[in-house]
Amino acid sequence: MTPRVFRRWSILHTWTSLICTLFLLIICITGLPLVFRDEIGDWLSDSLPYAMSAENAPTVRLDTLTAVARQRYPGQIITSVFVDDDEPQVLIGMAPSWERYNADPGTGHALKFDAHTGAVLRDMGAPAQSGIGFLQLMLRLHVDLFAGLTGNLFLGVMGLSFVLAMISGLVLYAPFMKRLTFGTIRTGREKGRLAWLDLHNLSGVVLAVWMGVVGLTGVMNELSTPLFALWQRSDVQAMLRPWQGQPAVSPSELMSAEAAFHAAQAAVPDRLVVSAVFPGSRFGTPYHYFMWSKGRAPLTGRLFTPILVDARTGKVSAVVAMPWYLRALEVSRPLHFGDYGGTPLKILWVLFDLVTIVVLVTGLVLWFRKRSRRRLSSGTLSRAVSADPDDTLEPIGLPHTTREATR
Amino acid sequence: MIPAFSTIAGRAPVSIWPWPITLGLLTVFGLLSALLGQHGIWLALSWIALSMPLIVTVVCLIRAWSRSSSKGGPS
Repeated sequence: MTPRVFRRWSILHTWTSLICTLFLLIICITGLPLVFRDEIGDWLSDSLPYAMSAENAPTVRLDTLTAVARQRYPGQIITSVFVDDDEPQVLIGMAPSWERYNADPGTGHALKFDAHTGAVLRDMGAPAQSGIGFLQLMLRLHVDLFAGLTGNLFLGVMGLSFVLAMISGLVLYAPFMKRLTFGTIRTGREKGRLAWLDLHNLSGVVLAVWMGVVGLTGVMNELSTPLFALWQRSDVQAMLRPWQGQPAVSPSELMSAEAAFHAAQAAVPDRLVVSAVFPGSRFGTPYHYFMWSKGRAPLTGRLFTPILVDARTGKVSAVVAMPWYLRALEVSRPLHFGDYGGTPLKILWVLFDLVTIVVLVTGLVLWFRKRSRRRLSSGTLSRAVSADPDDTLEPIGLPHTTREATR
Repeated sequence: MIPAFSTIAGRAPVSIWPWPITLGLLTVFGLLSALLGQHGIWLALSWIALSMPLIVTVVCLIRAWSRSSSKGGPS
């Protein structure tokens, strides 16, 4: 690597890192509790426990549960029904009206039912009224900095900057390590700077692949809102053309959610129907129950396929093919969350996250030190040399002076 | 003519990439074996493979720490 090429990669590494470091630190720190968000959520939850029931005990009819929900909140609308296949719970989403819910989904709230007994286990208030919980706070800081789509896109760009910093860091790793055995950390009082550098290089290189994967899948996740919007505007709208101009389904015409689940399940016997978005939602269509189904195997269980059930007739209108970009998004989720390999994998995720924080902090320390040294020695050295000839932070193997390089 | 920089330094260059590439491959294997295998031996292999980068880091830190303390301070 010539000094010129090295300088260019070095500048790229410095700036792509500086741009994103602060935000990456926020993302890493808020990501720590999010790895265990299910466990923390259960722990913080004020939900009543499930009744002791045999695993294959019969479940309560969905129509009974929707009736209970309507009774509890007369005048409100049901926005969605979610039947969990992991825990014996059914969640029924509600909102004051479609107008308010579609304008701000934060006005929605949910009831958690025991699937076996039909008892209400928890009445989850609307986030707009009940304030923000700890996990919600962490999630918003992690995902959009309370700035909605703008925040998503901004953090997505920060993620890309992080990936660029990592790639340039890998390129710079070679010249720095030319004469060092892998994993060397030069300690000692005079070698303080070198210890920071060695620690930065070591922690960066051992985790490069993980940081790349989690960085890129994180960027993918930040794009989920625009990607879903794009799909709804293109594919879903195209599918809704035959219904265009029809009046929206009125509550009296609405067939039961239970029947919609049965119809959808019959259409995709090899998949599991898990939820229904009611007609009128901005996340669905005005004329259908928008049903989500997923595969039954562990991996296909992460791939969701929607089914449109006509809310007036109860007939399945379409099993919607998902475009490649949403499939990619679905596959990228577990790889970002680390929630697919039991508790040990989650612990590893936390440790990796901590090592990433070490990479960020040591990088910052190196930059501050280099800056203060530059300030001390500014004006005395030529720019081509970039630092004093004894500067041990320069990569090994590169000629120290331009004269040496051209000799 | 430019002498090889390693001879300027008086030491042979060490191979840089075997360790990072091995750890990178182990990470890829660990990430995929849990995702595609999902249970049993594949999960255990995933945990072991993914632990390697951390174990290697810890070993390097311990070696550096014991070397600096055995020298009785700054070298």
